[in-house]
Amino acid sequence: MFGLIGHLTSLEHAQSVAKELGYPEYADQGLDFWCSAPPQIVDDITVTSVTGQKIWGKYVESCFLPEMLATRRIKAATRKIINAMAHAQKHGINITALGGFSSIIFENFNLNQIQQVRNVTLEFERFTTGNTHTAYIICRQVEQASAKLGIELSKAAIAVCGATGDIGSAICRWLSDRTDVADLYLIARNQERLQELQAELGRGKMMGLEEALPQADIVVWVASMPKGVEIDPLVLKQPCLLIDGGYPKNLATQIQCSGVHVLNGGIVEHSLDIDWKIMRIVNMDVPARQLFACFAESMLLEFENWYTNFSWGRNRITVEKMDQIGQVSVKHGFRPLLV
Amino acid sequence: MPQLEASVAINFHSEAYRDAYSRINAIVIEGEHEANENYIRLAELLPERKEQLLGLAKMERRHQKGFEACGRNLSVTPDSEFARQFFSRLHQNFQDAAAQGKIATCQLIQALVIECFAIAAYNIYIPVADDFARKITEGVVKDEYTHLNFGEEWLKENYEASKAELEAANRQNLPIVWQMLNQVEDDAHVLGMDKDALVEDFMIQYGEALSHIGFSNRDVMRLSAMGLAAA
Repeated sequence: MFGLIGHLTSLEHAQSVAKELGYPEYADQGLDFWCSAPPQIVDDITVTSVTGQKIWGKYVESCFLPEMLATRRIKAATRKIINAMAHAQKHGINITALGGFSSIIFENFNLNQIQQVRNVTLEFERFTTGNTHTAYIICRQVEQASAKLGIELSKAAIAVCGATGDIGSAICRWLSDRTDVADLYLIARNQERLQELQAELGRGKMMGLEEALPQADIVVWVASMPKGVEIDPLVLKQPCLLIDGGYPKNLATQIQCSGVHVLNGGIVEHSLDIDWKIMRIVNMDVPARQLFACFAESMLLEFENWYTNFSWGRNRITVEKMDQIGQVSVKHGFRPLLV
Repeated sequence: MPQLEASVAINFHSEAYRDAYSRINAIVIEGEHEANENYIRLAELLPERKEQLLGLAKMERRHQKGFEACGRNLSVTPDSEFARQFFSRLHQNFQDAAAQGKIATCQLIQALVIECFAIAAYNIYIPVADDFARKITEGVVKDEYTHLNFGEEWLKENYEASKAELEAANRQNLPIVWQMLNQVEDDAHVLGMDKDALVEDFMIQYGEALSHIGFSNRDVMRLSAMGLAAA
């Protein structure tokens, strides 16, 4: 059995979902209540591969909300993730993806130091960040969507915003290794990590966001922040492909300008309908078929019986691992979302 | 991404700490004392489980002694009067239920509500306790899972017959728990324990117990949050 640990995008969203699902005790409650709320399994999922194989899974709502980070309720935020993981493990789930902010919080606050949760010893090999599959899907989106829009990678500059993160660095490795992209612009806040990445790649220009945006043919946004960043579409090249792989998605709703093509990054489409309720709640365009690639990673690991934390730790994603997950992604009928 | 603030070292011998400890320690001692009496009373109501229940009662007596030693270790005199008042409503509800032979209600109050509350509080306390109290509490919390399990198993066996009574007992007693928690929020904070963590751990433990007994996921969410918003 596979699992997905997810959360809602805001307090307002959480309240409306609680109401819609018929949990009046949870609807209309403020942030304090959500800071005390325990994890819940709110969906049972059946996925069928194009090979005919069927797997079953559960969706664990962690009750984390991004407002907990914005208001510095850090202890509550970290508790949500650890408790959701303990909940998944207690319910016998073999492999669980840490969706949305879950993996970011886990990494950022070194939650691997907290292995004992009450009477549960967390087995980290039962969890995956899903970042390898997310990075792979975003790279395929870059390759396929740029071809569709007539942007030739051999003449194009790609700006990766959040380049030193786990997903961002993996994307840079792939683009550098597997494509003939003309220029790579590396954007991140931590200059030391940027230098390390540049040294590892042996290429790429370290740049500020404002400098990079007007020169980029493709912008890959993989920085995750509690609040989105506004981009002025007028500074962008035309045509420009903007792949929003951040969480929560925020660029698509802000940028409406002909010549600027915004694509939800890190989203896959399955070839067959998935039996679940939860993607409707997170406002996917085609809820029965579209999902976050990180969630799909736990499904792939379940299909293949690879009960291991396939994506774990920071900046360990190799292009070989991306190939490996990419092959089974195709095999079971997942494909990257395109414009 | 915001950073986690470094936790401030606790001075276990400061006046503020010892003042707060005098109430929290008293509550724990009183809680174990009442648990001992409650299991003895349950043994009278369930003669076929008498031996097991008297065994549980004995463990609670041992816990009480352990926590008394924790107070002495910090030269704190527990505020017993405060603690008796603190438990008075749950105590009365248990006595009333026992007098009416409502065993499911007694089990819910002692084996579920009080034990889950104790497990949540002890688990949150352990990382911030002084060395002496940590060792004692670690031993106690292991036992409390056994007590919770006893109640769960009995209620599971008697689920169909007790369901309505459990719903009523939950409605009657859970709001009291939230009020009790509010009453000691400040003292718990001085000891390094946050109220939202206590509530969350209680809801996890209590929810798991209800689910084990036979309640559906939806029922668990409704029952375990009952009265929380109003408290």
